[in-house]
Amino acid sequence: MMKAEEIMTKEVVTVRGSATVAEAVKLMKDKGLRALIVEPRNETDPYGMVTETDIIYKIAAFGHDPKQKRVYEIMTKPCVVVNPELGVEYVARLFSQSRIRRAPVIKEGLLGVISISDILRKSDFVEKPKSNFELYCEENPSAPEARMYED
Amino acid sequence: MMKAADIMTREVVTIRGSATVADAVKLLKDKGLRALIVEPRDETDPYGMVSETDVIYKVAAFGHDPKKMRVYEIMTKPCIVVNPDLGVEYVARLFAQTRIRRAPVIQSGLLGVISISDILRKGDFVEKPKELFIEDRIEAAREEARAICKEQGDTSPACAAAWDTVEELQMAAADQRRKTEKKASLQAYCEENPDAEECRIYED
Repeated sequence: MMKAEEIMTKEVVTVRGSATVAEAVKLMKDKGLRALIVEPRNETDPYGMVTETDIIYKIAAFGHDPKQKRVYEIMTKPCVVVNPELGVEYVARLFSQSRIRRAPVIKEGLLGVISISDILRKSDFVEKPKSNFELYCEENPSAPEARMYED
Repeated sequence: MMKAADIMTREVVTIRGSATVADAVKLLKDKGLRALIVEPRDETDPYGMVSETDVIYKVAAFGHDPKKMRVYEIMTKPCIVVNPDLGVEYVARLFAQTRIRRAPVIQSGLLGVISISDILRKGDFVEKPKELFIEDRIEAAREEARAICKEQGDTSPACAAAWDTVEELQMAAADQRRKTEKKASLQAYCEENPDAEECRIYED
């Protein structure tokens, strides 16, 4: 099974929660990104994320002035993060269950970002589709359900 | 106000509902797109759409075989469509209220697709933020001011403050109007047809 770290996007751009939304928009346009990561302020602080969707739904839709609004007012924090070793099928399942499209990949620091576009474009789900049960048996080869009976 | 037609993406790729999901994935990859439009089968049939999210949430997440699943099993149909003349701020509001990120732009046929990325990258909401419904807010503030003045007296500080609020809103509205420089429809009509009956200027 392919892992999150194999298909994640390694170029990540971070932004401070105190930056203005106008600054975040400029960063996204300049770098061609759909989301920015908000790094923790200290060791006990969680990761955050601000996306295109946050900006359109919460700023543009209400005509708020992006120069007056700050990233911390619209970001998602804490956000769901993914372990680099998580299988791509499980990332897809996690995204589907939590209705998200993108998550930072974290292990002792920020390694990258994985999105539904990465899964669609770089993973092997078309060539090697795996059923639920196959996934389960792969993870738990000694489970009673996974035993092969020859009778 | 910028319109949907000004910022939409004009290159659109369509797919049949009976195509396999594997075909759709290949098209999305080859064309670098995030969604495909499913065209109506006949005149009474609505538009549909299949997006990256549909493929990942409904196929990849369950390990289903994309070669054995069809687009019609995972598409959104009917999907919300947008008129090309709709203001970009209203498109943003519509998207936020219906929790969608993309919609086909239709007017006697498929003209394009508009997405949150188009709004972010090509809209002018950073340079010219526009508040919707500002006229409604002015009306509400005016009613409020009248009520306060009736209750506390026309010379009370509360009455003066309430009317200040109305004035601020009116100034903001005037500012927005100036920026958009949009002519009233009658004005535009009269410029084109100065002899029309509606355009006569009476001096009485």
